[in-house]
Amino acid sequence: MKKEILNFKVNGTPYEIEVEPQMTLNEVLREQLNLTGTKISCAEGECGACTVLVDGKPELSCSMLALAARDKDITTIEGLAKDGELHKIQKGFIEKGAIQCGFCSPGMMLMIKALLDENPNPTKEEITAYIAGNLCRCTGYVKIIDAAKAAAEA
Amino acid sequence: MFRTLKPFEYLEPKSLEEATGALSKCGTEAKVYAAGVDLVPRMRKRIIAPKCIVNLQRIDEMDDVIASNKDGARIGALASLRSIELSALIKERYFVLHEAIASIASIQVKTQGTAVGNLCVATPASDVAPALFVLDAKIKAVGPSGERLIPIDEFYLGVGKTVLGPNEIITEILLPKAPANTGGGFAKLVRTVSDIAKVNAAAELTMEKGVCKEVRIAVGSVAPTVLRMKKAEDVLRGNKIDQNLIEKAASAAADAVKPITDIRSTAEYRKDTTKVLVKRVLEKALERTKA
Repeated sequence: MKKEILNFKVNGTPYEIEVEPQMTLNEVLREQLNLTGTKISCAEGECGACTVLVDGKPELSCSMLALAARDKDITTIEGLAKDGELHKIQKGFIEKGAIQCGFCSPGMMLMIKALLDENPNPTKEEITAYIAGNLCRCTGYVKIIDAAKAAAEA
Repeated sequence: MFRTLKPFEYLEPKSLEEATGALSKCGTEAKVYAAGVDLVPRMRKRIIAPKCIVNLQRIDEMDDVIASNKDGARIGALASLRSIELSALIKERYFVLHEAIASIASIQVKTQGTAVGNLCVATPASDVAPALFVLDAKIKAVGPSGERLIPIDEFYLGVGKTVLGPNEIITEILLPKAPANTGGGFAKLVRTVSDIAKVNAAAELTMEKGVCKEVRIAVGSVAPTVLRMKKAEDVLRGNKIDQNLIEKAASAAADAVKPITDIRSTAEYRKDTTKVLVKRVLEKALERTKA
């Protein structure tokens, strides 16, 4: 199939690349831009591992055509740290031991970023509700919620 | 195992005319794309393999605006579920729709997915549809020969089937103005919060001096389409509402459903719990008519 031009921004950097129309945003990020921090697991919108921010809002990169990201501003986990300094959410995850296998962590951290951008001082219930679409099979969520609280307070 | 999507022709029309023209040309081989949350996973699993994808996101006449108008309110077809849930207008005047969307767990799905997309999937387990049924919503569809308004309770034909023609596109949802002393409620039963409903129900009730002036009840996941519970409504309409009458209406609703047994529940349980849910949504709606 004919390739199409995709203009978009990823972590603040403008890109103009050629993509095949059937490529998902997840594939383009991982395979064309080598941003493998964004994961893919269930590939049907149940697990949240592929979450990225689209114009600041959390969406599922596995379920979005790359061409639908035209003119959008995408934030992936690689965009959180600035100038070699980890983001306060990343520091919170380290401090509270909220990472075990790490597979859900990029999606979780981006969800928490979207939450804190919307609501800087969330309650435990608000954090829990916000990450309801993100599965973690290691930690039991308690440390992830602690990490989100620590990041909010930092 | 997940796979890549099969190649397809990709179209990005700039106008409705161009879009309906493209759909007329491709016929049933085409699928429209609004957000992808349902479409892309189904394509990946090879449940569908469209030869052509028509992206609706760049059509000039399409929007995501939620606003009041002289007849009530309108929701643009590209409005996300999340933006509808957070809309002050919807919360204030169409609470049942807010409550239904709030019951959907995943913020990502709601941020990306649209209410119109949810309707077009035509699953009987939709949480959005029962709320729109009781709000008496109409759907505006545009095709090559012009536009038409479809009452929501005439929209569904069966699982995955709607009255929408292959070259028609929904542009907005219209909600009529609710009279004074109206309240609504939504409730559902699920295995886990992120799963789809075993049974869901919605009601919208208008009261006048203790008498039910108007009522609409809808139940999901108990038949091939969401169902209006007209017999249950007849039990209430024109009568003084008390607990006894609510129980009677709930029983009438349970008698009217035709559920199946599947991995989520048994038919018998769905029938029993229809009664419980209808009772709960009527109680909630009644309480909210007082606000």
